[in-house]
Amino acid sequence: MSSITLGRYTPRDTFIHRLDPRIKILSLILLMVAIFISYSTWEMTFIIGGILLVFIFLLAAISKTSFKSLFKSLRAMWFLIIFLLLINILVKPRNAVNIAFSIGSLDIYWESIFQSLKIILRLFLMITLTMILTTSTKPLDLTYALEWFMKPLKLIRFPTHEVAMTISIALRFIPTLLIEVERIMKAQTSRGVDFKHGKISSRFKAIISLIVPLFISSFQRAEELADSMEARGYNPKAKRTTYHKLHFAWNDLFALLLCTIFMAATIVFSAMDFTIKTPLFVPWLIIGICGVLFYLFGIGAENARRHKK
Amino acid sequence: MKLKFNHVDFYYGDKAPNLFEALNDIDCEIKEKSFTCIVGHTGCGKSTFIQQLNGLLIPTKGSVFAGDFVVSSNKKERTKKLRPLRQKVGIVFQFSEYQLFENSVEEDVAFGPTNFGVKKEDALKLAHENLLKVGIDESFFKKSPFELSGGERRRVAIAGIMAMQPEVIVLDEPTVGLDPRGVKEMMTLFKELHDNGTTIIVVTHDMNLVYGYATDVIVMDHGKIVYQGTPNELFDKSVDEYSLETPLMTHLIQELKQKGYKFDLQQIKSLDDIVDVIAKQKGGAKNE
Repeated sequence: MSSITLGRYTPRDTFIHRLDPRIKILSLILLMVAIFISYSTWEMTFIIGGILLVFIFLLAAISKTSFKSLFKSLRAMWFLIIFLLLINILVKPRNAVNIAFSIGSLDIYWESIFQSLKIILRLFLMITLTMILTTSTKPLDLTYALEWFMKPLKLIRFPTHEVAMTISIALRFIPTLLIEVERIMKAQTSRGVDFKHGKISSRFKAIISLIVPLFISSFQRAEELADSMEARGYNPKAKRTTYHKLHFAWNDLFALLLCTIFMAATIVFSAMDFTIKTPLFVPWLIIGICGVLFYLFGIGAENARRHKK
Repeated sequence: MKLKFNHVDFYYGDKAPNLFEALNDIDCEIKEKSFTCIVGHTGCGKSTFIQQLNGLLIPTKGSVFAGDFVVSSNKKERTKKLRPLRQKVGIVFQFSEYQLFENSVEEDVAFGPTNFGVKKEDALKLAHENLLKVGIDESFFKKSPFELSGGERRRVAIAGIMAMQPEVIVLDEPTVGLDPRGVKEMMTLFKELHDNGTTIIVVTHDMNLVYGYATDVIVMDHGKIVYQGTPNELFDKSVDEYSLETPLMTHLIQELKQKGYKFDLQQIKSLDDIVDVIAKQKGGAKNE
């Protein structure tokens, strides 16, 4: 069960906990970009990777995310890691020249080892970042933030509120379902089911004895919830206010600036040694800026429409 | 099968903000072939208590002895295989109606026994026997459990535990949500099982049931056992102390006592018994 609850929100009062959830999501995206930018030389890749690793670990330390659970997530990835290593080692990369060692007639290249190390590092950084976000932000705040980000879509009549509501209900019911799972597991264990040991066939049966009651009770719960929402006059089309209003503050600006600088720095570093490919960057940059402008315009338009009402 | 708790502590969670002491130095014994009721307010540790009985939860400190089985916080002392214990001590959980999953009622009841190595035909035979005992007749045997009403499903779930032929049956609030007749039928069933030599442990909030059926009662509060003894003693003096409700029967008897009637509390379990006593003291015959 502990693997599912990995990255669960833990109430603390740190700088990162206090940040606005919208800023946190935005910063996550910026830092993700920084993680996924590639460089022409391996040295550069690992130096920047190392810097990012230190920075993200610093974030984890500030937000008091437990390092134990971080490494647990790494342990959960072991299958993926081995798979990646195998694939990368068996497939000879382009322009691979440096043979590290050979097993029989199979040559292992330094490039392929580096390549898999790079992917593992990126994955780990990504998971760590997401975990910092989820352990430091209430799930409900996350959905509010998502709803805010989806605002421009309202102009094309996308049901943003309904989507946000669905997400928040789904998030809300994860712990409830986990409790339910535990309850049913205990009941079936009392009837002699062994969930941990036994033959494949009996374990299959054990899983069925868990899944079927879980489905039945989930559907029942969903129906009851829908009824009770209707009974209390819930109308998805209605204009509504939220209990907690989201506010931007100075610390949000600081965090956003820091993350933007980080991203910008990695792009600059990447562009510097990508001298030949630099022109390729320009159209992407233009498209990106246009996208952001368009989006901001969307939010503005939506706000204006609301004020008119 | 004798059940014995030896200084049992149980904590949920392992670190400071999440740690919760559910059981605190539980030290008690549940007599063989007794009908024990466990009462106490919501969140006092009753459900945690019963889960120690078949090794679903392992004590954080101390040990539980169930017959030859030892469920101890100490790994060396603990019995290696706890699965056979679950056949001996059957637990019917709260909302047990949600644990059914098989295609038919009879198969679901036979699921428990087959898990403990009973052959399919014998298990079905056991299923039929026990379904009849809980008041589910043949017409239901081949039905899907999901076609049944909530009360019927709960009976099927209870039959599912009874079919395992345990020596101890533990029931967590088995009568919640049943109509008065259903409650009476259910309790009569447990009493029959008790008369046939099964130890019955029932978690309940209904003091009238405790009065009418229990031979022993355990009162829990904040993870501790605050009272253990017979229901008569409990209702005689200390009900207010644990802020429990007084059973209707006790009220009635107290009022009748003021009017000059004399009662032997050991003998009185139901309204009929009171009527008999009054009739006797007024000079009439029994069952008049």
